[in-house]
This record gives sequence, C-alpha cells and structure tokens, in this order.
Amino acid sequence: MNYIEYKDLDLFSAGHVACSGCIESLSIRIIVNTIGSDAVAVVPPSCGAVICGGYPNSSVSIPAFHTTLESAAASASGVKRSLVAQGKPDTTVICLAGDGGTYDIGFQALSSAVERNEDILYICFDNEGYMNTGGQKSSSTPLQAVTGSTPAGKISPKKNLVEILAAHNIPYVATVSAAHSEDFVAKVKKAKEIRGTKVIVVLIPCLAGWGVADNAGIKVSRLAVESAVFPLYEVEDGIKYTLNHTGKTRTVDAYLAEQKRYRHLTEETVAEIQAGVDREWKRLKMKTRISQELQAAED
Amino acid sequence: MNEVPSPLWTNSSTAVNKTGTWRSALPNYQDSPSPCHNACPVNGDIATWIQEIKAKDYYGAWLTLMDNNPFPAIAGRICHHPCENPCNRKYQDESIAICSLEHFVGDIALDKKWEIPAADITHEEKIAVIGAGPSGLSAAYQLRRRGYAVTLMEAGDQLGGLMRYGIPSYRLAKDVLDGEVQRIVNLGVEVRTGVEIADATAVKELREEFDAVYLAIGASRSKRVPNLDYEQSWVIDSAKFLAATNRGDAMEFGDSILVIGGGSAAMDVARTARRLGKDVTVLSLEPEELLPAQREEVEEAQEESVHFIGGAMLQSVNSNGSNGLELNCIKVEFEQGAARGQFTIKPVEGSEFTLNADTIVPAIGQEVELDRWGELSSDSSPIINTDSLHHTAIDGVFAGGDFASLDRFVTQAVGMGKRAAQDIIGYLDAGQKKQAEKGQEVPFKSINVHYHSEAKRQIQDVAELDERLKSFMEVQRGLTIEQALTEADRCFSCGNCIFCDNCFYYCPDMAITKLEKGYQVKTDYCKGCGLCAAECPTGTIIMREEL
Amino acid sequence: MSGESTRMLLSGNHAVAWGARLARPDVIPVYPITPQTPILEKITDFHAAGEVQAEMLTPESEHSAMSACITASISGSRVFTATSSQGLLLMHELLHYAAGARAPIVMFNVNRTVASPWAFWPDQTDSLAQRDTGWVQFYSESAQESIDSVIQAFHIAETIGLPVMISHEAFYVSHAMEPVEVPSQALVDDFLPTYKATHKLDPLIGQSFGSPVDAATYNRTRREMDVAINSTYEAFEAANSTWQQLTGRGYGIIEQYRTDGADVVVVTMGSMCGTARDAVDNLRDQGQAVGLLKVRLFRPFPYRQLREALSGVPCVIVLDRNFSPGMGGILHQELKAALSGMDDMPKIHGLLAGVGGVNVVPEKIEELVKQYTDAEPNIASLWVE
Ligand SMILES: Cc1cc2nc3c(=O)[nH]c(=O)nc-3n(C[C@H](O)[C@H](O)[C@H](O)COP(=O)(O)OP(=O)(O)OC[C@H]3O[C@@H](n4cnc5c(N)ncnc54)[C@H](O)[C@@H]3O)c2cc1C
Ligand SMILES: Cc1ncc(C[n+]2csc(CCOP(=O)(O)OP(=O)(O)O)c2C)c(N)n1
Ligand code: SF4
Ligand code: SF4
Ligand code: SF4
Ligand SMILES: [Mg+2]
Repeated sequence: MNYIEYKDLDLFSAGHVACSGCIESLSIRIIVNTIGSDAVAVVPPSCGAVICGGYPNSSVSIPAFHTTLESAAASASGVKRSLVAQGKPDTTVICLAGDGGTYDIGFQALSSAVERNEDILYICFDNEGYMNTGGQKSSSTPLQAVTGSTPAGKISPKKNLVEILAAHNIPYVATVSAAHSEDFVAKVKKAKEIRGTKVIVVLIPCLAGWGVADNAGIKVSRLAVESAVFPLYEVEDGIKYTLNHTGKTRTVDAYLAEQKRYRHLTEETVAEIQAGVDREWKRLKMKTRISQELQAAED
Repeated sequence: MNEVPSPLWTNSSTAVNKTGTWRSALPNYQDSPSPCHNACPVNGDIATWIQEIKAKDYYGAWLTLMDNNPFPAIAGRICHHPCENPCNRKYQDESIAICSLEHFVGDIALDKKWEIPAADITHEEKIAVIGAGPSGLSAAYQLRRRGYAVTLMEAGDQLGGLMRYGIPSYRLAKDVLDGEVQRIVNLGVEVRTGVEIADATAVKELREEFDAVYLAIGASRSKRVPNLDYEQSWVIDSAKFLAATNRGDAMEFGDSILVIGGGSAAMDVARTARRLGKDVTVLSLEPEELLPAQREEVEEAQEESVHFIGGAMLQSVNSNGSNGLELNCIKVEFEQGAARGQFTIKPVEGSEFTLNADTIVPAIGQEVELDRWGELSSDSSPIINTDSLHHTAIDGVFAGGDFASLDRFVTQAVGMGKRAAQDIIGYLDAGQKKQAEKGQEVPFKSINVHYHSEAKRQIQDVAELDERLKSFMEVQRGLTIEQALTEADRCFSCGNCIFCDNCFYYCPDMAITKLEKGYQVKTDYCKGCGLCAAECPTGTIIMREEL
Repeated sequence: MSGESTRMLLSGNHAVAWGARLARPDVIPVYPITPQTPILEKITDFHAAGEVQAEMLTPESEHSAMSACITASISGSRVFTATSSQGLLLMHELLHYAAGARAPIVMFNVNRTVASPWAFWPDQTDSLAQRDTGWVQFYSESAQESIDSVIQAFHIAETIGLPVMISHEAFYVSHAMEPVEVPSQALVDDFLPTYKATHKLDPLIGQSFGSPVDAATYNRTRREMDVAINSTYEAFEAANSTWQQLTGRGYGIIEQYRTDGADVVVVTMGSMCGTARDAVDNLRDQGQAVGLLKVRLFRPFPYRQLREALSGVPCVIVLDRNFSPGMGGILHQELKAALSGMDDMPKIHGLLAGVGGVNVVPEKIEELVKQYTDAEPNIASLWVE
C-alpha cells in the first residue's frame, strides 16, 4: 500500500467546526502543512471559511484573510503585491475558495489573475454546489445532481474549469483528491515552486450536500477518480497534459450509488452520465497524447 | 497611530472548541483476532509474522512463529492449514497461502541454523513429558523455554512420533524433522528414549518424582476393518508399513496393493507404495469428494496414478494362493455425522463388485488403548478425558495430542502441547496470569481492500511427476523469495495494526496522536466520523457507540 | 515653511496623479473609466519612467481593484486607487469591506453621473451614494486642492485607520488646467512618514482577519468605527496644520467665504463653490449680505462645525449637484438633520442645481438667492430650472 508522505507541521488545528468527517478540513490540513508557515491565505465565504474558524479563533496558523465571495483571486493578488513591495516575494499566497466562488461569482477575478499571471496558488474546494448557503447548484454541479435549486436534477453538465484555465495558458492547473494524498501532496509542492498562477481543484464530496455517509468522503473521492468522473491530471502552461491516475477502472455506478443526490436516477440517466464521463475521458486521453506528441516534436 | 481594535483579528486557536462533544461513537484500537488466528490450531499470530515477512524481517517472523509452534518448517509442509479456510482474503480472490509462507520462514531458519537460546532453569518444579510426538515436544519446548526442568520420556528410540514414523519423507524430509526436533533438545530438555510409561499406575509413580506430568503418547493401536483376517500374510498394518519404509527397511509384499481408508494415512500408504513401484487402489467408504485426507494429498495421489474407489466397502476376501486375492466389495451410501469421524453407511443392494490385489493395507485410523489407562478413561469416550485445562482425573497429570483428542493433526497436537504447558504453569504457579482474551474476530467488511495488493495467490512449485515416483524426495519445493514477498503483501493483516498512519493522517480533526508504538484518540476533538476506521486497511479500529 | 515646490500647469486629474506619486504608495490597483483615466495613465507613465515604484495592478474590474486594495493595505502597504461613477458603484460591497477592515486606502473619485442612461457629466451622486460605507469623504473644487488633499488623505487615513475618498467633479475640475504648486518629494516625505501598519497579514504574526463574529462583537466593531471616523476632525487638523506650516496652504473641514453678518449663506460642495463664490461677490456688490459655506468634509458629517457656523444665520440655501430619488438633495437633507433642534435654526432651502452636469452660472445662483431669501422653506428639495 501507499503510505501518506507529508509532515504534519501542526499548522492546522483541531477544534474547527467542519462537519464530522468532512474531507475539506482534511484537505486544508494537507495543504497548509505541505505549504508550511511562510504563507498567507485568502478565504472567500464557503465551507472553507467556516473551517478556518470564527472570531476570535483560527484553525490555521498562517494568517487568513476572509474576503468577499467574488474576490478571492483579486484579494490574493493584493496580498502578493504587497508582500513583493515589502521585499517578501517568497511568501506563498494561497486562496482557499469554494466552487461557487471559483467557477461562478469569482471566475472573473480568477480569470484576470491568471491572465496577469499573479504569483498565487489558488485552491478550489469543489463540492459541486453552494454548500454554505444550504446546497444550491453552482456551475460546477454535475448533470442530474439534485440540489436545493435543482430539485429534479441539474439539466446541464458541469463546467470544465481546468480546460478553461488551460486555455489561459496558466503555468499550472491540476486536480487532486484527498483519497490520493501522495499525488495531492506532490502537486501542492510542485505548485508552490512555480512562479505565476497555479490552480488546484480538490474534489470534496459534501457529506450533507451529496448525501454521503460521514465516514465515506475518502471512499467517494476514490470512486470518483477510479471511474474518471473526476480524473486526476495536471496541465502545465496550458499545453503539457499529464494524467496522474491513468486507469479508468470502473463504471460510474458505485460512485453514484454512494450519494443521495443521485437517488432519483433511472437506467437511462445513469447511461447518460456514463456516456458523458466516457466522452470526457476519451477527450482527456486524446489531449494527453497530443500534448506528448507536441512535446516530442519540440524536443 | 490608532490601535486597530482587536475584534477584527483572531487571537486564539480553534483548539478551544472541544468538538468531541459532537460525537456518538469513538474509535477503538482493538486487539482483534484475525480469522486465520482463530482457526489456527496453535493460534499463531499469523498476521504479525506475515507482516514481518513483508518487511523482510525473516528472523522476526520466525521468532513470532516459534512463540506458538516450534515446528514452522514441519507445519509449513504438512499442516492441514485450517487457518486458510476462513481467511478474509478469499472474499476478494483466494485465501493467503499461509502454510507455504510458514514453510518459507521455517526453511530459512533451518538454513541459517537459527536457535532459540537455552533458558536457565528458574523454577524448582520438575515436569515429565511422556511421548515425543509433536504434542509432547511442543509442551516440553514451551515449558523449558520458560525456565522449567523438563524430562521427555519416549518409548521408541527416536523423537518425533508420527512425524517420524508415520508421515513419509516425500512430504516431510527427515533432515527438516531432525533440525526442528534437535532445536528443542538443544534448549536443555532431558531426553530419555526407550522408556515406556505403559499404564495409569506407572503415571502415578512418575507423579511422585515429578510435580506435573504431560501425557502425549498418541493413539497407537490401529483400528480394525471388520471381516478381515489380520493374521494373513497378505494383510499389512499401515502403521508398521509406514514405520518400516520411513526407517528405510524394505517389507516383502506383492505388486498390487489395496489400501483401505481415506485419510492422510491411507494416502501416505498409497503414495509410498507407488514410490516402491506398486500398483495401488484406495478403497474408501467416503465418496471421493468427501475423503478426510487433505485435498492436495488426494490430488497428488491421483497425479501419481493411485486409483480411487470411493463409496464402497470390502465384504470378504478370497485368497487364490499365488494368483493373489479376490476382493468382494459393495457400494455404500455414505452419510456424514455431526462430529468428526462420525458417519453412517448403507450398502446398496445389487451393487456388488470384485477387485484383485496381492496385498491389503488397512489404514482406517488409530485408537487409544483405553483399557490400560483406568481412571484416565471412561466408557463414553474413545479418548482420554481432560477438562478445559488439559487436566486428567489424576491430580497434576495432563494429557493432549492424539491421546486426548479426535482432531488428529500435527498442529492440533502442537497447539494442545502449548496450551497444556500454559495450564501446567498455571497449575504449578497459581499466581500466573492467563493471557487476555482477544476481542471480536475481524470480518471482511472491516478491511479496506483499496490499500492492498491485487496480486493472485502464489503457488509453490512441486517436483515433476516422474521425479516424484522415482524416489522419496520432497514433492513441495517451497515458495521463492519473490513469491513469498508477493504473498505476504496480499495479506490484509486483519486486526493487526501495520502502523501505516492512515488513521493519523486521514483524521480531519487531528484527533489522533501517534505514540511511540501505536496511536491514541484525543477524545476532546474526535467527532466520531469513523473515517479513521473506514480507511484503516486492517480493520484494527472499531467504532464503539458511546451512550 | 520648508521645502520648495514647483509650479506646473496641470489638469485636476494630473494633479491627483502627482499627489499619488508624491505619497509613494506601495501598491496601486486601478481600473480605467472616463473621466478618471488621465489619473491612471499619468500614474502608469510615472511607473514606466520609474518615478513611481509601486506595484501596479491592473485587474479586470474596479471590483477586483478594490479587493486588491484592501488586502494590499492590510498586508501593510500604502495603497492608492482612483475611479469614477460606475466603477465606484461596482466597488460598493468592497467599500464597506475596506472600512470594516480598517484599511487606510486613499481613493480618488471623479464625480460623474451614474447610468442609466449613460452620461459623462459632473454629478456627485456616485460618491454620495457611498456615504454609509465608512469611508471618510472629502470634496475638492480645484486641482491644487486635489493634490494637497490626496497627500493629506494618506496622513489622515493612516492616523485613524479608515479609508479616505476624495472627489472632484468630471471635466470642470478633472480636465480643467490650472497652475498648481507641486510640492517637492522631500517636503512630502517630511510630511508623510512611511506607513507602518499596527496589525497586518503576516506569517510571523499569524493572525487572521475577517472571520465571522457574533452580533455583540459586530456591534463593537461599529462602535469602534464610529470612534475612529469621529477622530477624523482631530486627525485632519493635525495633518492640515503641518501641511500649512510646510506649504503655506491650509484647508478647512468647512470653509466660509464672506459669511460675516450674512443674511443668506449658500451651502454647497465641490466645483459649485467656485461659481457660488462669484455669485456671493456679485451679491455683496449689490448690497445683499450673502456668504458661502463650502463643505469639504462630508463624512464624517461635520455637524458641530456647521451648527456653529450657521448659528444665527436667518437663511441657508443648499445647492445639490446630486439627487437621491424620493428624498432630494443629499446635502440638503443631511444639513437639515445636522442643524435640527438648534435654538436659532436657519430657514433651509434645498435646491437641486446642476444635477446631471447641467451648467449653473453665477447669475443663476444670484437669481436663486434673491428668489429664496424671503421665501418660506419647502421641506423637499426643489428642482432648479
Ligand atoms: C500416516 C499418517 C500421516 C499423517 N499425516 C498428517 C499430516 O499430513 N498432517 C497432520 O497434521 N497430521 C497428520 N497425521 C496425524 C498426526 O501425525 C498426529 O495427529 C500427530 O502426530 C499426533 O501427535 P501426538 O504427539 O499426539 O502423538 P504421536 O505423534 O503419535 O506421538 C506419540 C509418541 O509417543 C510415543 N509413545 C507411545 N506410547 C508410549 C508410551 N506408553 N510411553 C512412552 N512413549 C510412548 C510414541 O512412540 C510417539 O513417539 C498423520 C498421521 C498418520 C498416521
Ligand atoms: C456577493 C455574495 N453573494 C452571495 C453570498 C452568499 N454566499 C455565501 S457562501 C455562498 C456559496 C459559496 O459556494 P462555494 O463557493 O461553492 O463554497 P461552499 O460553501 O460550497 O464551500 C454564497 C452564495 C455572498 N457571501 N456574497
Ligand atoms: S488476510 Fe491475512 S490476517 Fe487476514 S485472515 Fe487471511 S492470512 Fe489471516
Ligand atoms: S477520523 Fe478522527 S474524528 Fe473521525 S472518528 Fe477517527 S479519530 Fe474521530
Ligand atoms: S489505519 Fe493503519 S495505523 Fe491506523 S490502526 Fe489501521 S493499520 Fe494501524
Ligand atoms: Mg461549493
């Protein structure tokens, strides 16, 4: 088996008020401890903000600035520029944002920060909905998922953020899952070393919002990766694609079965979801191949 | 400059929130037994030593094995391995080849000549062990190791019991047996061969000299097939036959042999006879698929061209002088009883048939000569009576092995020897604490299979058929190092923490502290989510409801 | 008086850019909008020439610009930005955030009509609509006043721990050229020490900002803001008197012009003050005792100073170049509230003059003064034709 390889520097404290079993808190634990203490976080309203703590307490030892929902990337740029102006360019500035704050309301700011290539590491905790407000859809909510604002299941598919960012020629964008901690840690480390904008999307099965058992967050993440619902990959400079978990070893059934938000599915809708996943997976593999060919041609 | 007021900036850690109050269940690191451990006749901490193999700590693995059984190389060859039946890995693909792994470690130890250091005698009490079969040797080993003076008395001239006189060397090479037996003797056990303790009176006399006695003299009398005249030269007792061939003495008999019986002994007779160039048929009451012998033995016998006639019995024999024997047989309906060895049969009318052979070797099992043992026996039982602490009716006299059990297996005998040794120590030293009972057996659903290898069960090589039939060389070749490591890696280590730190790292609430060896849950913070238990690869953590 | 200055012919906006340059901000997040663009472009020129060392951040929107201002500020940097109209409105959420964060940002706003419909004329509704955000607000009527105000604003903001906004009006001030005394860098450095934040986002400190609070704590933050914003007066006086010593130029929180013995005082803000001053002169020449009261500081609203200044004045005419639908002129309403309960409270007329950038000439003001001096005041603000 693979052992987890990161040092817990105790930069994330117990006593935070994430739901019992929430792997967003676990992911924050991995992230802050991997990045280390020379860092500043920017946190828009989201579960992440709740986890970081209510006044006067903080769960993270690094300073966190709670910003507005749509501002994470801009706020982080401000912090970074200030640090640069103070002669401290090596301090890592991270965003800990939700998918709503990233795919939707904060997308404009993010796109601009990426275009300016601000030296920030933007983490998107993708729980596929506005969970802090009780679980409404975001543009990251996948096809057919039931949310507070899509009671019959969402009729449009999830936005492909990674591809959109790749189209910005962003230095680094990657997907990670807390169930694949080795890969997770490696990507955070890698991103930390890159100058410019880095975005890491973490899949967070929301226990309440998705209807997942308290102890199943990791399991569901694992199933998402293994079924390629959420492939683990990275894109460097918008062109170099690397698949980090190459096997699509199962169909979507087991993944869907773990979640109440998909309880209403029929055979046809499952097939529709499967077809979507298959298509995206094929595309991704194609892009990976083309990217390798391009690199080979350049070498 | 105005001091910016405090409500805007945090000034303490969330550690002040005691989220433990949210919890309704608390993770518990439990010393739960694996199914293999429970099924193993010596309760041999299997998960532990397999992990040691995995870590390439073969010496450690051997020491763990030796804690419970001084015969890893022997057991690794001939144990009926009941541990493999309930192995959790079988729900994923196939059970772990536990026995082969034990063989692997046992052979390394012999090869490297590893010894258990001789222990000083630290107790005044003296103990006599009667019978140097696996059970007696096991008890002697456990007692001597713990500082007791042990005198081992054996009627024969060599040690090993049926491991020496019964089990043929193509299954258990003599040097393997010698090596593991000698190691026990080297511990400082006083051995007296050629000493027979023949009856209850003799035991009582011994009791004067020794503070405790362990009787493990096996079941020496062969059971008799009805309607068979044992006085005839063409009837050969299986025990004598095997003992003679094991000693290397050739016996005179014909070319075509009928073996009666379906157990290990019958297989051994049949396969030994094949190695002597005989044509062999095995006749058993049980239909072929219900033969009490181990499956591998039956299969190997079939490979070696032993003929099987199951579900039939011998009714009478006509001797045709030099033309051999005509055997009148009949088919039977066989029905297994509740207890081991119990069954009923019903001859099928009109199904009579005849067979031809030169020699008949009945091998239908051994029994205890109860008549000699007076108060130690009773009419209601075919074996010596003991209580749950292996104690017989005579104070200070204990019994085990085939002598006191119908589970007639080497490791069963070894396990009884081990437990009897503990009971004897408990008898001699009332202050001795019994080992704590382990908790609930770990079920497959507690194992997170994601963390385990996907490799298939590793099968050891066996000798080529024509090689096998030419000599008494061992059939099993043992696992290669690569195979052993692959196999060890397949083990789920059920209930046996492998210190993978998963529980520590996967806790979203930092509620698990790493100790020097092991982990502790911080009840102040654990929210009881159960993620640690769910992601524990080994089922070591049990979520226990808190009321 | 110390240090020297250079006289330059500058537009109001370029004067602002000079003010910003001299204050040596560390970070300048800024987004263009007419008629603020000359400020941005001038600063960008300075930056390109190495005359401004700040981190220039040009994001996709004013919203992001202000977001970055806030974090740069509370990371310990001196921050400047500029905007106008729609841009200011887009920042609205962040303006509250900045004040709540007690970030001493200085922002220049060029007052411009707000859409719809689209228009590009002077009108103060954009900034007045931000009056409850917790920003200190100054209104300037000239390029000289704007450059001086920008520099003073940093001093004040960093003293009280709140952001400061200065506004001047589109085109009338922003684009009109006038000779401006541009103080030397040495002088400004003397006046404005390097910014040292007491609290900031700093890995070595590790404190976090903005976490959710309970109602009582939130209440406390507002009380503390109240204390802070009310310390503007003191902070202003201190900054202004030093500035006056250094440059010879000083300003008031409110400024009175020929109000001694005035029967009528015209009260207004920004560029309207210049026009009103001419009208006052003309009316005085004609023998009517008319004065002008210019409100420079709108937030905090200097009601004490106003009550004192207007005590015993029989008639006040407020000219509002802004409009709050359903309530009228914002200065009018605020002034009434401020003077309410005075023993000798003046009659107050509120006139919506110049809303949407409509030109108001001195003669018009003279006419209005004459018209309203003896009229009974209307509770509502009245549109001026
Ligand atoms: C042919 C054959 C093959 C077998 N194959 C297997 C197998 O593959 N796997 C397996 O698990 N089991 C096998 N068994 C069963 C297994 O050998 C026995 O269950 C096991 O040996 C019993 O051990 P024990 O110590 O109780 O008795 P034994 O092995 O019978 O040893 C008893 C010892 O006591 C000595 N003794 C007897 N009477 C006296 C006395 N009065 N005084 C002093 N000494 C005395 C004997 O000489 C002997 O050395 C086989 C048995 C046979 C017969
Ligand atoms: C401008 C604005 N609109 C709406 C909200 C209310 N709001 C707070 S959190 C949130 C949802 C955020 O969703 P996401 O970013 O996915 O984070 P999650 O709660 O799922 O972690 C919303 C809509 C807000 N804070 N600000
Ligand atoms: S998997 Fe390993 S520990 Fe579990 S039952 Fe099988 S051999 Fe024993
Ligand atoms: S993972 Fe942590 S919080 Fe959850 S049950 Fe285990 S120790 Fe408790
Ligand atoms: S998760 Fe790993 S370390 Fe924790 S109890 Fe299970 S085996 Fe042991
Ligand atoms: Mg979300």
